Amino acid sequence: MTGTGTAANPGTGSHPPSLPAEGSALKAGSRSWFTLSTSREERFFLLLAVFIGLFSGLAVVCFRLAIDWTRISLLGPAPEPHSWRLIATPAIVGLIMALLVVHVFPLVRGSGVNQTKAALYIYNGYIPFRTAVGKFITAAMAIGSGQSLGPEDPSLQIGASLASALGRRLELSRERLRLLAPVGAAAGLAAAFNAPISAVLFVIEEVIGRWSAGILGSVVLSAVSSVVVVRWFLGSEPLFRIPAVGLVRPTELLAYAVLGVVGGLAAVIFAKAIGYLRPRLRAWPRWTQYLQPAAAGLIIGVIGFLGAPQVMGAGYEYMDQAMHAQFTWKMLATLALLKIVATTLSFVSGAPGGMFAPTLFVGAMLGGAVGGVERALYPGLTGSTATYALVGMGVLFAAFLRVPMTSVFMVLEVSGNYSIIVPVIVANTLAYVISRGLEPTPIFDLLTRQDGLDLPSLEEQREQTVLRVEDAMRPAPTPVLEAQSSVEQALRRVQDMPGTFLVRMSPSGWGSTTSDTLKRLAGEGKGEMTLGSTLPIRNLPYLHPDLTLEAALRHVYQVPLVPVVHRADFRRLEGVISREDVLEKYKKQEGD
Amino acid sequence: MNVASLKLLTRRPPVIIASLAMVTVLAFLGVNRLVNRFREQEKALARHLYEHGLQAQAAGQAERAVADFRAALSYARDNFDYQLSLARALRDTGRTAESETYLISLWERTPQEGAVNLALGRLFAREGLFDKTIQYYHNAIYGFWPGDPETKRRDTEFELITFLLQHQAYPQAQAELITMAAALPSDPGLRVRAAQLFATSQDYEHALAQFQQVLRTDRDNQAALYGAGQAAFHLGRYRTAQGYLRSAVRRDPQNTQAATSLKTATMVLDADPFAPRISDAERGRRVRSAFQMAGERLDNCAKANEIDLSPRSPSGGLPALKAQWLEMAPKAAKLRPPRNDGAQDEIMDLVFEIEQQTQSTCGTPQGLDQALFLLSQDRNGVER
Repeated sequence: MTGTGTAANPGTGSHPPSLPAEGSALKAGSRSWFTLSTSREERFFLLLAVFIGLFSGLAVVCFRLAIDWTRISLLGPAPEPHSWRLIATPAIVGLIMALLVVHVFPLVRGSGVNQTKAALYIYNGYIPFRTAVGKFITAAMAIGSGQSLGPEDPSLQIGASLASALGRRLELSRERLRLLAPVGAAAGLAAAFNAPISAVLFVIEEVIGRWSAGILGSVVLSAVSSVVVVRWFLGSEPLFRIPAVGLVRPTELLAYAVLGVVGGLAAVIFAKAIGYLRPRLRAWPRWTQYLQPAAAGLIIGVIGFLGAPQVMGAGYEYMDQAMHAQFTWKMLATLALLKIVATTLSFVSGAPGGMFAPTLFVGAMLGGAVGGVERALYPGLTGSTATYALVGMGVLFAAFLRVPMTSVFMVLEVSGNYSIIVPVIVANTLAYVISRGLEPTPIFDLLTRQDGLDLPSLEEQREQTVLRVEDAMRPAPTPVLEAQSSVEQALRRVQDMPGTFLVRMSPSGWGSTTSDTLKRLAGEGKGEMTLGSTLPIRNLPYLHPDLTLEAALRHVYQVPLVPVVHRADFRRLEGVISREDVLEKYKKQEGD
Repeated sequence: MNVASLKLLTRRPPVIIASLAMVTVLAFLGVNRLVNRFREQEKALARHLYEHGLQAQAAGQAERAVADFRAALSYARDNFDYQLSLARALRDTGRTAESETYLISLWERTPQEGAVNLALGRLFAREGLFDKTIQYYHNAIYGFWPGDPETKRRDTEFELITFLLQHQAYPQAQAELITMAAALPSDPGLRVRAAQLFATSQDYEHALAQFQQVLRTDRDNQAALYGAGQAAFHLGRYRTAQGYLRSAVRRDPQNTQAATSLKTATMVLDADPFAPRISDAERGRRVRSAFQMAGERLDNCAKANEIDLSPRSPSGGLPALKAQWLEMAPKAAKLRPPRNDGAQDEIMDLVFEIEQQTQSTCGTPQGLDQALFLLSQDRNGVER
């Protein structure tokens, strides 16, 4: 298997089947939903999003049961150090899992986020149903046997896969099918996290990459539906039981800022470790891929055997314990470090599973540890271990996964406490800035590039300089003519000057003319008539200085000179812009 | 209906929605069954681990119990008993900070739960946090207790009072006791327990009243007889004390403390020269005897502490008392009640002064000296 064996290469013989082309589904007949009016189609799509949410929720409930059942069966109801089961189980299961991944479900390696993104941008929303089945089985085996991975990213992929399958079953258009993947992804993630807002934001920040009103409603509906299902079956309790948290003194923000710095550095180490090891392990001979998950499992098992079984699996119960101050700061720091090692090994070995839970785990432990040290040095600090652990979760989420908005809302949703928002924002921002400074490529982008794909990244889009009309416009050519002036008067003003002149129309709007046109009109005996009544070009399109050059492109190809006017006074001319100006600006930017 | 029209029908939006709804309902039912079965298994597992933890706790293996309770909670994290047991086990292992965090989070969810408040009260008592202890004990007393709340509230009150007494917070303990005693049922055991706590808080008046209330319904209650005797003794009501203590010793000859107190009370009554209904000769004999006893006590005490009682020694303290005693000796020898011109009072004043001074120098006296010392403490208050 090559390094691009995941989303980059949807597998031998698993290319998307012939998808219905846009509008080609009319074969279904006049009463098919494809021929419905746009508004009815929109309504149908929203309803479909609800069903996708329900199905994803049900699938995630089963997935969580499967993980729990596997864990109890394989590791026992209460895993404890010095049990040989801890060493043997992840290694043996790793071997079986590798066989399944290599031979039966080749698309299930890794977390699932990039695969979903690839489905959206490359495969027209196509994710084989087999992927959902494979992800369900192999991820449950991996997480249940103790691999240091989480269930959220697989849930996201399972949701997207179910949505894609449903869309294909209903023979939706390519465009609709493409939109269904993020709808299912949001549903799967929301169900796994029991946090709809974070899921929606994550899908927008990381999968879709842009805010689009057209899809936002469906994403929100599916996320909410899936959360309703999960809460119906598994209860409405948040992921963590957070003791009372809050910020007593504003000066304590400094303590959280320190956590932001430490978290940012830890995230960089975590990301660099994965970025360094993953391509190297994939470059090893094909037969080693049968052994890599087993070897990772063995090492993680040894860590558990020697006294840290907390790093095995998703580790939510231990995050809960950390928040309730049940570990010393030294133990918390050790667990954070070991979890980074264990997760890196699990992930680069190709074991199917997500990075959300390990990221939260590392964040909680690191936060608790930093808080413990700070409180030991400055006993006056009032923040509890839970507060630091919670902020730490957000910090790692922002710095490692590089989703700053999601990280803030995630903390608020899992804690249900808004009083912590200021420390979270401070620490997350610092961590994000440090991480971005030291590791310019976000982890998910790094993984897609290692897989040979180039998918759009919202972070990169945010970083790009947006060229605007004001960057390319130039001063308006003088004179600017008035519509009330006669043709003779206008001709006297422009004389034999070359080029195009703008005409301010009355009561509003803009037109344009040239000295040749004016001469022709005068020759036709229309010299006494006003410009407004004789001009062939009236109602020119106009632009505002803050619009993007991309928006200007549509107009500069229609007319040679487009007026740029003030937003509050359309008769006030700020400048003009032409096709040449726009192209010149783009050339100059590329040169820079 | 041919295949084509059937296919056409299945493409109608209402049919699609109806089909999806049906599939959803079926899937719901299936998942519901699966979840219920799994939850049952988890509950059984949690119960098993919890019982294992309780056994470990009973065997004194607190660490093992903590691990079991934690494991049980991972399968039933809402279970109140498991959470409380874990918090208690953590407290027992000395991890008070962890226990406190856990209990506080429990308390935040169920601030009205008596058991949580009691556990927090005990935790803070262990940490020596006086005010917090009282706060959470009070919360527990007025909190919610499922199943026999009266008994649990009363037990908590007793526990709080014991804590207060251990910290010598007698006024607070007395206040709690008075409130509790007012609502006590007529159970002799509870009354005796409350009375004993009254006695420990040095509120002998209420203690005696409680013991007497028990004796009204259970005249042979050994603990009440002994307690009433002791309370009366401390109140200086030696006649009453003698009665109760005599009954206590008669019913339980092995009660040496009762016998000792009875002996002392009898001695006080026999040594009291101000006792009514005794002859003048007897009164004179008691005064002389007391005077003689005080002199000996003074000499022995000075000797034990190597204090020079001779006239050459500096005045003040025991030597001054010795000088007064020597001066008073002829008067005591000639004392003939009732014509004594106030000499009897003068002699007894000196006796009491000697007993009190020697008590502070040489410690608690024994025998008749003790009786004289007790008389000196509350000369007018002694029950006659």
